[in-house]
Amino acid sequence: MTQFTLNGRAVSIDVDEDTPLLWVIRDDIGLTGTKFGCGIGMCGACTVHVGGRATRSCITPISAVEGAEVTTIEGLDPAGQHPVQQAWLDLQTPQCGYCQSGQIMQAAAMLKDFPAPTDQDIDATMSGNLCRCMTYVRIRAAIKQAAAAMGTKS
Amino acid sequence: MLKRIVLGLIVVVVVGIVGFGVFAWRPAIGKIAPPAPAAFAPEMVARGEVLAGAGYCSTCHTTKGGQPFAGGYPMKTGFGTIYSTNITPDAKTGIGTWSEAAFRRAMHQGVARNGAHLFPAFPYDHFTKLTDADVSALYAYMMTRTAVEAPAKRNSVPFPLNIRALQAGWKLLFFHPGRFEPDKAKSAEWNRGAYLAQGVSHCGACHTPRNALGAEKRDKAYAGALIDNWIAPPLTAANPSPAPWDRAELVAYLRTGISRYHGVAAGPMAPVVHDGLIKLPDADIQALAVYLADVDGAAARASSLAPALRKAAAADRLNVGPQTLPAARLYTTACASCHYNGVGQLNPLRPDLALNSAVNLDDPTNLIRVVLYGVSAKDGAPGVVMPSFNRFSDADVAELASYLRATRTDKPAWPNLDKKVAAVRAQGR
Amino acid sequence: MGGEPGGLLSRRNFIIASTGAGLAFGFSALVEAAMDPAVPGGAPITAAGPRFEPTLWFAIDGDGIVTVNIIRAEMGQHVGTALARILADELDVAWDKVRIVHVDTDPKWGLMVTGGSWSVWQTFPIFSQAGAAGRIALVEAGAKLLNVSPTGGTARGGVVHVGGQSISYGDIVKRGGVARQFTPAELAKLPVKPAAERKLIGKPGRALDIAAKTNGTAIYGIDAKVPGMVFARPKLPPTRHGSKVVSVDDSAAKAVKGYIRCLAIDDPSDTVPGWVLVIAESYPAAIRAADLVKVRWTAGPGATVSEKDLQDHAAALIAKADGGALLDTKTADTAPAFKAAKSVLEQTYTAATVLHFQLEPLNALAYEANGVMEIHTGNQWQSLILPTLAKALGRAETSIVMRTYMLGGGFGRRLNGDYAVPAALAAKALGKPVKLVLTREDDARFDSVRSPSVQTVRMAFDGTGQILAQEHHAAAGWPTLANAPALMPKGANGVAYDPFAISGADHWYEVGAHKVRAINNDLANETFRPGWLRSVGPGWTNWAGESFIDEAAHHLKIDPVALRLKLLTGAGANVGGDASTVGGAKRQAEVVRRAAQAAGWGQSLPKDTALGLATSFGQERDMPTWVACVARVHVDRVSGVVTVQKLTMMTDAGTIVDPDGARAQTEGAALWGLSMALHEGTVFENGQVKDVNLDTYTPLRISDTPELDIQFIDSVEVPVGLGEPATTVVAPAVANAIFRAVGVRLRHIPITSTAVLRALSGKA
Ligand code: FES
Ligand code: FES
Repeated sequence: MTQFTLNGRAVSIDVDEDTPLLWVIRDDIGLTGTKFGCGIGMCGACTVHVGGRATRSCITPISAVEGAEVTTIEGLDPAGQHPVQQAWLDLQTPQCGYCQSGQIMQAAAMLKDFPAPTDQDIDATMSGNLCRCMTYVRIRAAIKQAAAAMGTKS
Repeated sequence: MLKRIVLGLIVVVVVGIVGFGVFAWRPAIGKIAPPAPAAFAPEMVARGEVLAGAGYCSTCHTTKGGQPFAGGYPMKTGFGTIYSTNITPDAKTGIGTWSEAAFRRAMHQGVARNGAHLFPAFPYDHFTKLTDADVSALYAYMMTRTAVEAPAKRNSVPFPLNIRALQAGWKLLFFHPGRFEPDKAKSAEWNRGAYLAQGVSHCGACHTPRNALGAEKRDKAYAGALIDNWIAPPLTAANPSPAPWDRAELVAYLRTGISRYHGVAAGPMAPVVHDGLIKLPDADIQALAVYLADVDGAAARASSLAPALRKAAAADRLNVGPQTLPAARLYTTACASCHYNGVGQLNPLRPDLALNSAVNLDDPTNLIRVVLYGVSAKDGAPGVVMPSFNRFSDADVAELASYLRATRTDKPAWPNLDKKVAAVRAQGR
Repeated sequence: MGGEPGGLLSRRNFIIASTGAGLAFGFSALVEAAMDPAVPGGAPITAAGPRFEPTLWFAIDGDGIVTVNIIRAEMGQHVGTALARILADELDVAWDKVRIVHVDTDPKWGLMVTGGSWSVWQTFPIFSQAGAAGRIALVEAGAKLLNVSPTGGTARGGVVHVGGQSISYGDIVKRGGVARQFTPAELAKLPVKPAAERKLIGKPGRALDIAAKTNGTAIYGIDAKVPGMVFARPKLPPTRHGSKVVSVDDSAAKAVKGYIRCLAIDDPSDTVPGWVLVIAESYPAAIRAADLVKVRWTAGPGATVSEKDLQDHAAALIAKADGGALLDTKTADTAPAFKAAKSVLEQTYTAATVLHFQLEPLNALAYEANGVMEIHTGNQWQSLILPTLAKALGRAETSIVMRTYMLGGGFGRRLNGDYAVPAALAAKALGKPVKLVLTREDDARFDSVRSPSVQTVRMAFDGTGQILAQEHHAAAGWPTLANAPALMPKGANGVAYDPFAISGADHWYEVGAHKVRAINNDLANETFRPGWLRSVGPGWTNWAGESFIDEAAHHLKIDPVALRLKLLTGAGANVGGDASTVGGAKRQAEVVRRAAQAAGWGQSLPKDTALGLATSFGQERDMPTWVACVARVHVDRVSGVVTVQKLTMMTDAGTIVDPDGARAQTEGAALWGLSMALHEGTVFENGQVKDVNLDTYTPLRISDTPELDIQFIDSVEVPVGLGEPATTVVAPAVANAIFRAVGVRLRHIPITSTAVLRALSGKA
């Protein structure tokens, strides 16, 4: 039995302790915004926040999040209006959209560490998120737009 | 930690000596009726609780998901598996019938109430340094825990090593009983730290290498050792991290589990910090830090910090821009999203791998373990997870490790990494 | 097409035939089980009150909400948005009143395929007319309700203005009584708006599928679920074809909590020979159990084939003068010219095997309900796989329905719906819903990869710098042969060929006699199942052709841009003709000129840095998208690392329906092209691709992304495709730039730093 918090709600789940968090979120809990891409931690489609930090859920055993706070794309903002999401919408960043939950979660976490990211910061912190549709130009622009919006707000 | 201690067991010679039996014999100490919890002063219980934290007793005396202090925790040693005992005040299966004198004899001399010698998996060679008052406090604390009926599990130590009397011979050779002697030349704070570290916290049990019979090498105190499939790094100036372990870093690490330069408390060190030392007041953490910074020789190494940080920052920048080298690409795409710091301040939650102990140790074990198995939310930085890259091939992990070694340190390459990764994988989580 | 084998000899014909269904007008039944990508979870909103459905393609409800039916798969191209925009513009409604639904495979929709960048080109006339029909019907009905003459009535923004009064579309529908019908002949004559009056086409606008893709509510095939379903993961056989199961040992898997059983698939359609499905209560249990199941097979053909075998075989086929199909290039007899030539240039180019690696691994959910086999998955060519499913399941096509979810990337992989077959067979065998999901490694191994290719191009010159003739011989695995052989047309020599594996070689340059020979690498087709991968053949034909043109320029000692402009005369066979090709090669010359100018062709650049150009007409001569790309490249002579600093991309795709979507498609296509030029490629080893996940397969990432300058030619010509053409010009532009930067010619993609170093040291 593993207990943790998901999008602010207490969850307890009885699965094999090395079951990846990804499948617990998707199949047991039923939140499918978090995606399966590679299963080895190399595409970022499964990125969620654990303790506020971007984490690849496909290689995170459920036992590792015992007691932790997990946030998925569905819980990033109650109205789906996080500044990163707004910028994504504004620049029409998604193509197929499959990678974008992960991109958004990664970007939102990254902006906490790098509130005014340089291109280099974006390269290094976003390179783990593959976009097979290659929406990178817009991802970069949207991150900067979100950073500017967040900077203005605070 | 003691639970993984290589058992010191006497072989041969002494066995045949006439009179060894007499030498080895200890009397049983009579049973008492379990004392009522109310018999202990609350201040003593509270003081005992702190000490039990400092000694992280529950780590070894509690099984995963089991009742606190009820024992049964398996310690794999080179001589077989030993299970920790039930130290709750249960009359039948715990220490409920132990008088304080019996408890004290166990702590100071390593002898059970019934007169049997204890295996040094129980670190009485450190606890012998505890003051009588502290032992009393620990007794008060333990005897006021909830009694749990949990019979001892049979150890798997084979004959003849399982003959308890042989432990007397080991003690004769390696055990130095006696209370802690303060060093008059040092400050009170240093002495407090040394008392804790050498005594109840038994740091040397993991960080000091052992001889063939499993006794700590006294001339190699804190020189680093292999323990429970991890490397307990040297705590001395031989520590290979380019940043010294100064007081501030030690305080941060021992208090929160995170040092911005050295990484987080993972593996067997995690419960020491998060379940044990958490009970200590800040003053004691400061005292431990003063003592350990001295062991590290941090003051003498202080000037190495600035250049180390500069080099680390330069290495960090290797992973911006297009990556063509396969290993660099693997690192950038798998690791940099969390480990890159850019030109800003080092973020302790973005551990810098040029400074991290795991990358700088002579042995890649810790790095491989962390890559393969990650760090869970309750270990390391609390609430934060490093995922486990165990779906990577051995070749991938080896490539990452050798890339980090080459780009983040000046140290020689680790040999045979592929095999090493396979071996660590075979050990399991 | 599966329904009409052999009847469709060219890609063009097949498109026209397939659109026939779209002309059937009248009242359609309610659209059921469709997916609205703008709605969380995809469930379409219910109509308010009665609906007016003047055609199969859309309906208006009492609130004036227009629901447009989309038969194309949404895989990132915002296709529903682009298509609905065409219809809404002509219907004259505000964009915020428009909804789209992606429909199921009811036969009424006709042929369902999403690929070839055809969607807009093919749908534009149909949806324009449908919109016009609706508008006219509504004006008439509005006038009737207002008791005025419809003459002079107009519609603006969903409101009919007539006889000094006005009434909204919604009110007209609410009050009922719109029942106008149009015959196909009437439809064809309907006036459509002049370009100047367009309000949505070509204007900025919001794509309808995007919001759900930013908040986790978009539903993809992998998200499909139904009560009581079990999960399946395959054990893949050693070869793609002809493997047979000898024994299955699941003793170790039994320890996995949730493991149910193994199921050896008996497949009458022979789509997935030798598959064993590992069934479990959860997907992670299926993954783990499959790792522990041991299957013994007898392998089919190709079990020992390597990449080198494939390339060697292709080279040997090219070396034989006969064999293969000759394209109808009018002047294919090049022998006299080569005999007369003063000089001849010949080079051979190769391209590696490429994985689709669409980010969402293949999956399909199948179950039987009410006598119908339901298949829920993302798919690009439902009409192709339905007959195969019917054969596999032994049931009529009419009792199978596919519901198309959003695709987490298509890129041509899901034109081949083979993955639906084992899911359906398992559902049939187990009598319960089965959700098949491939792990990434399974997906890579089961991919219909882009075949490796070998091409030899030669050119004959006279003594004055004139080109007398060109030959282009291309050998590769043929996707259409593997997946839809009925679609293969016959070449000029009567040999059937895969147009997708050669198109692009039949370029618009004036080169005198021109021989284009398409050769099937039969060893490739025997070893694996070649797939259509974004832009397909031009991915390699342009690589060879556009590298070669630069080599020819070097041979002739003239500027490569100047040579191209000289050859793009727009005369003779290259003059163009119908609405789609009007302007011919002159339009290609224009994008070349403009791209060169925009990129600063001729400027001096730092050391070891240079520009390279390549151009293309897209895929088919009858649907040309004119594109030119300039790559600015730096080569590090010490490491051999090639850095692409900037790509300038000039496109003439006729009318741009959705400017932002067009830009997005071109951004993606350009970076795909760069990825295949420098970063991705795998090799066959023992009949399987070697790289099966991202640790060793390394597509372009954000840090590899150069500056992009993407421009479109302003045009009101017929809109053509956009999803692919930019893909094909990047690799030759990069190779051409490398040559101009450091003087070495690379003839294999992907271009690695090792290859550059080898070339620099003269050992190439
Ligand atoms: S699915 Fe987790 S990183 Fe790719
Ligand atoms: S939008 Fe398709 S993978 Fe990123």
